[in-house]
Amino acid sequence: MSDWSNAWSTLVSFFPPDLSLTYLWALRGPVLESLGMTVGAMVLAYVLSLPIGLYLGMRGPGSRPILWLLTSLRAIPDLTLAIFCVIAFGIGPGAGLLALAIFYAAALGKVLADLFQTAARGPMAALRATGASRAQVALYGLLPLKLSDVITYGSYEFECAVRSSVIVGAVGGGGLGAELVGSLNAFDFQRSATIVLILVLMVALIDFAAFHFRRRPRWVAILIPFGAYALYALWPHNITLVHAAHTIAGMFPPTLPAKAWATLPTLLLETVEMAVFGTLLAVALAIPLGMLAARNLTPFWLAIPVRRALEVLRAIPEVVWGLILVAIAGIGPVAGIWALGLHSAGCLGRLFAESFENVPVAPVNAIASTGASRLSIATYATFPLAIGPLAIHGLFRLEWNMRQATVVGMIGAGGIGQALYEAQQLFFYPRMMAYLIITWLVVLLVDALSQHTRRRLDGAHLAIEERVH
Amino acid sequence: MRWQVMTGRLAASVMSLILALAGLFASQAASAEDVLRVGMIPDAGATQVSVEQKAPLQAYLEKALGRKVKLIIPTNYNATVEGLDNGSLDIAYLGGLTYVKAHARAQVIPLVQRKTDREFHALFITQPDSGINTLADLKGKRFAFGDINSTSGHLMPYRALIKAGVDPDKDLKFRYTGSHPATIKAVAAGVVDAGACDETVYHAMINAHKVDPNKVKVFYTTPAFVDYVWVARKGLPASTREAVIEAFLSLKAHKDEKILTILRGKSFVRANDQEYDAIRSTAKKLGLF
Repeated sequence: MSDWSNAWSTLVSFFPPDLSLTYLWALRGPVLESLGMTVGAMVLAYVLSLPIGLYLGMRGPGSRPILWLLTSLRAIPDLTLAIFCVIAFGIGPGAGLLALAIFYAAALGKVLADLFQTAARGPMAALRATGASRAQVALYGLLPLKLSDVITYGSYEFECAVRSSVIVGAVGGGGLGAELVGSLNAFDFQRSATIVLILVLMVALIDFAAFHFRRRPRWVAILIPFGAYALYALWPHNITLVHAAHTIAGMFPPTLPAKAWATLPTLLLETVEMAVFGTLLAVALAIPLGMLAARNLTPFWLAIPVRRALEVLRAIPEVVWGLILVAIAGIGPVAGIWALGLHSAGCLGRLFAESFENVPVAPVNAIASTGASRLSIATYATFPLAIGPLAIHGLFRLEWNMRQATVVGMIGAGGIGQALYEAQQLFFYPRMMAYLIITWLVVLLVDALSQHTRRRLDGAHLAIEERVH
Repeated sequence: MRWQVMTGRLAASVMSLILALAGLFASQAASAEDVLRVGMIPDAGATQVSVEQKAPLQAYLEKALGRKVKLIIPTNYNATVEGLDNGSLDIAYLGGLTYVKAHARAQVIPLVQRKTDREFHALFITQPDSGINTLADLKGKRFAFGDINSTSGHLMPYRALIKAGVDPDKDLKFRYTGSHPATIKAVAAGVVDAGACDETVYHAMINAHKVDPNKVKVFYTTPAFVDYVWVARKGLPASTREAVIEAFLSLKAHKDEKILTILRGKSFVRANDQEYDAIRSTAKKLGLF
């Protein structure tokens, strides 16, 4: 009981957010750092991933190992990469920027490779027959064929990156994330609320911009000078590769003491539990919310505010929910479950709403013609018809949450993530590396299982939705 | 269709404005080579925004050293040590345990410390009506340590608990709050039943009314140990090190009250590595080093 009343009084202390002009003005630096980090990293990521994607799309020699490398890099969460970059390149936005650039270059490279490999072979064969070189085929055949998809996926990743820019700040990567951790540690919750509000606004702004980039791809070009400038301004000023190599070499060979091996199954189980219960919580929240947000089930005056609420849930990444919930509910898997549940509820709510809207019209009309109420139609027609897509979305989410359960663990929600973070904090780097490899293998395994299931479910058309974390 | 073009342009111009500003501010922060970068302890409210509260210290150091000084508050102790190792910090303020690790990892050089750091204590605190009066009463309770690398917030309290027959791993539901003020506030707010913290931070917060004195009480004080120290990174020129030492040694009560309040001390003395041998062996014994 006292736990709940404590949690409630903590929650109340977030309101009202500190919107004083002095504080908002003081936040300009961190906000600009986070935005600069995002744009700089993404420009770098696009520049790196496009040739890689094209090369793999042409199935150049050595494609398989390169693809494997990208998949493995992508399985390391952004937060972990940020920890690495802080160790190697120092505290501040420079490390955050590099972490984002590496993570998104790998993510985009993989996505682009997948895209280009599905391009129609005919036009390219024709081009090839004219005597064009491989590079010419790639630039004049492959790229134009898939340009609109490239822009679409690219802009989705851009939205993810702005959220990530706050995450990497939490471990020393600078920007708004560092401010959030600081204000939460100070129990200065009204200021934390301000920072979360700013994050939601930033995501909305990027969302808005990305929407227009998708319609007018040429506008993307304006990002290049600013990205280049952000790269120049935020680049870590003392990159010493020797030092970085030395530090990373010190993490090998990975070792776990006997005591840690003994607790490993418990830790893994805790992480899996977090992912499973977090996803279940999200599904339980997303079904009613999705129905309320579906235009065919709910009048617009209710559906639109519910949609906005879902966007807010989604705009706040798991790690940020986690930081807030650890402050409110204390450390432990419960905070992790809620963190995964709330963010996922935002994502799933939107996808569920679309699934409800996409059900075939005829059966619904049939029930409606009997004079059934809105609720009866939803219960007996719309819901059962949408159950297939709902299940697929839920499974995708479970896969994603397996990864995120490790990440929220690092900020105090327990499981293997917390063990990894504590080993890192104590400078037991070989131990950290061991945990890292174990989580990485688990993520790769879950990915492989999910890919297998996806092939069987023929969920190709859902691939794009999967990207909308 | 036209309004879509309009909003598109609007979006683009808003974006470009923001990005231009981003670059501008960021470049301000990144430029200037001769800046001395000073790492502070991850305090509560360890935000760049709150660095402004430490402006008198920055101004004092700039005047004493004759160069620009930038105060940086990393998010945790580990980041401070890595910062010293890879050269993104020149001098930094470390706790005893962090110093021991930084010395082993990055060969940092001890400079100065407060007189009180030679005989430091950690406090165990709880709510006045919690019914907790001894360390043994903590069994089964929710407990807060500070940063995992903190001497007075983790290492020494951990040792005191073990000596009192309480195994934190089995007998406590503990968490790391990340800093001393966070621990004190967590205890005052009842988020945990008890916690361990640095004595100077505790008294400073009580004196400044940053925590309600009716909501916390001290129920155990550890034996004395050596704690905080200012250090320089390995490659910092000896002349700079001496200048920093001089700047701290010449801080005088009354004259430099503001700065001494920020540093929570009365006067500084030279520090050396041998003082930390006891901390080193304790940390090894408890598996934290």
